[in-house]
Amino acid sequence: MVVSYFGMLRDIAGRKEEDWEQPAATVGELLHRVVAEYGPQFGRWVLDNGDLLNLAIVLVNGRDVRGLQRLATPLKPTDNVTLFPPVAGG
Amino acid sequence: MNGWIGTFLRIDLTTGKISTQPLDADLARDYIGARGLGTKFLFDEVDPTVDALSPANKLIFAPGPFTGTYAPSGGRYNVVTKGPLTGAIAAANSGGTWGPALKYAGFDAVIFEGKAPKPVYVWIKDQQVEIRDASHLWGKTVPETSDGIRAETDEDAHVACIGPAGENQVLFACIMNDLHRAAGRSGVGAVMGSKNLKAVAVIGTGAVTCANKDRFEQVVMKVRAIIQQHPIGGTGLRLYGTDVLTNVLNEIGAHPTKNFHDGYYPTADKIGGESLTAKVLQRPKGCFACIISCGRVSKVTNPKFKGQGEGPEYETAWGFGSSCLIDDLDAVTKANYICNEYGMDTITMGSTVACAMELYDIGAITKEDTGGIALEWGNAEAMVEMTRLTAIGVGFGKKLALGSYRLGELYGHPEFSMTVKKQEIPAYDPRAIQGIGLNYATVNCGAAHVRGYTIQPEVLGVPAKVDKDTIEGKPELVIKYQNLTAALDAAGACLFTTFGIGAEELAELLSAVTGVEYSTDDFMKCGDRIWNLERLWNLRAGLSAKDDMLPERLLKLPIKTGPSKGSVNRLPEMLPIYYERRGWDASGVPTDARLRELGLA
Repeated sequence: MVVSYFGMLRDIAGRKEEDWEQPAATVGELLHRVVAEYGPQFGRWVLDNGDLLNLAIVLVNGRDVRGLQRLATPLKPTDNVTLFPPVAGG
Repeated sequence: MNGWIGTFLRIDLTTGKISTQPLDADLARDYIGARGLGTKFLFDEVDPTVDALSPANKLIFAPGPFTGTYAPSGGRYNVVTKGPLTGAIAAANSGGTWGPALKYAGFDAVIFEGKAPKPVYVWIKDQQVEIRDASHLWGKTVPETSDGIRAETDEDAHVACIGPAGENQVLFACIMNDLHRAAGRSGVGAVMGSKNLKAVAVIGTGAVTCANKDRFEQVVMKVRAIIQQHPIGGTGLRLYGTDVLTNVLNEIGAHPTKNFHDGYYPTADKIGGESLTAKVLQRPKGCFACIISCGRVSKVTNPKFKGQGEGPEYETAWGFGSSCLIDDLDAVTKANYICNEYGMDTITMGSTVACAMELYDIGAITKEDTGGIALEWGNAEAMVEMTRLTAIGVGFGKKLALGSYRLGELYGHPEFSMTVKKQEIPAYDPRAIQGIGLNYATVNCGAAHVRGYTIQPEVLGVPAKVDKDTIEGKPELVIKYQNLTAALDAAGACLFTTFGIGAEELAELLSAVTGVEYSTDDFMKCGDRIWNLERLWNLRAGLSAKDDMLPERLLKLPIKTGPSKGSVNRLPEMLPIYYERRGWDASGVPTDARLRELGLA
């Protein structure tokens, strides 16, 4: 699957996107693996004590997982996952 | 009085008469200040049917009780008048340092009446107020005007002025202060130009008193901590500015593209906040007493679009970018600089160029109209040139100066104008976000996002995530955000503090500074009162329920690509419920019972 990074996450990961080849059946599995890869500075913007950080915007094919099954949202190898830290504007 | 100064200034530009009046305490309590106070003055003093650009219109500058205190990010002021773009009430909001300076000079508001016989500027040095000749400044840009006035008054003077666009009465001209901050929408700068008023320069050495200093300090420290510890208010906005939203909105398929023909722009990342930070950002910048610093000091070195200044914000990057199918950040930023220097609203300017590109695309306008310029989708040079021509009032720029509705009408296609009440819709596609569509349709000053920013719950999840695609509960949500924002604007607060605090904390701050006890409900009721008074004024101006409508494109043309493919906005289902929840009749007219409840009967 393709994982895309925005905001601080892009800076920390040092890349805009990547083909993620490690297995991840759910958003939760993926996030824990991505955080293991990029470290706690990355993790603080997406996870909160192991749960999904409420203000992080995690999309699967453009759908916000906060309106799906949050960390339990299932993933397929063809999915596009988009990760935003808490950001805003107006 | 505390928080309020207790005095406002009235300047008749026709006669040159300058007077001061006491601020009524009950009026201050009920309307708070800024947008609220300005609305009350306009309602009481201006016939809503007047020509917005005639001397009969008035132009009201008003900060709020927070303005000039150290309430976090609370340094704002509003300009209230009849908007020439919309024919509706206008309330344009700006930050910077001008509002606090007016309070320190000793005034809660300035009401400008009539029309000066020749170009003038007003110099306020504490209680000394003078009308001065501005003939030598007429035609000058915002930086030239600001520098010129400082040179002949005080090097620390705070200047709010119009550029050539306001003088030429471009219907979406801004009033600029502190060079780069704008009271941006609805053409308040054109009203200033119609009055031959080039600038208002202020310096004040007084203070804003506080009813209970210990209590105020305690509340301020509490809310400062909440905002600073909040990931958005404390970190995200400072790092990337508001333009970080480009990718957020695009990735959910709610980023209006090609004049709202679509909701997804494949190369939007090139003009998003991440690219801005990497390529043109010099440093973040805040307004008076700001702890957020969303402003962008920027510089473009590309010789084709070289310049420096501030911006772009999200709306600007979208308007000159995705809406015109342009992904050249340098060009977008350059167009922003032109708007700041000449004093024009970037949302309406960008969206009007997009409308013109659509007209050009179908052959309704040709190179003969544009002066030989190929106004094709994606032509960045043409977009910048059109902005420049509008700013200086030359060639096809004179047509663009009318805004997209009148431009479309002129060439037989008003349906290409993406407006509500003739004001251009901002950068959140209402087909993909239902509540913001209802907000656009019902905002009293015409389409605006910052009058009921339901994007917070619908997209960002602040304070909690709400389904953006449902219409369930949206009328109530929109009303809540509209009332909150009206009260917040009236207090002189920045909308971005709500990425951390809400009505409860704002009411606490207001009570501490003014000594008038506002419960959360009292605070929200003030917002409701302001909203209804704006509505009454609009109804008397001739607007009606038919003006609470989105363009047909957003109701009938589904988004073509991206994650929101197939969506349309369901306004017709939400609007009757909105009216009912507001306590209005089926025609959108506030009922007598509702007006009595708000003290407006």
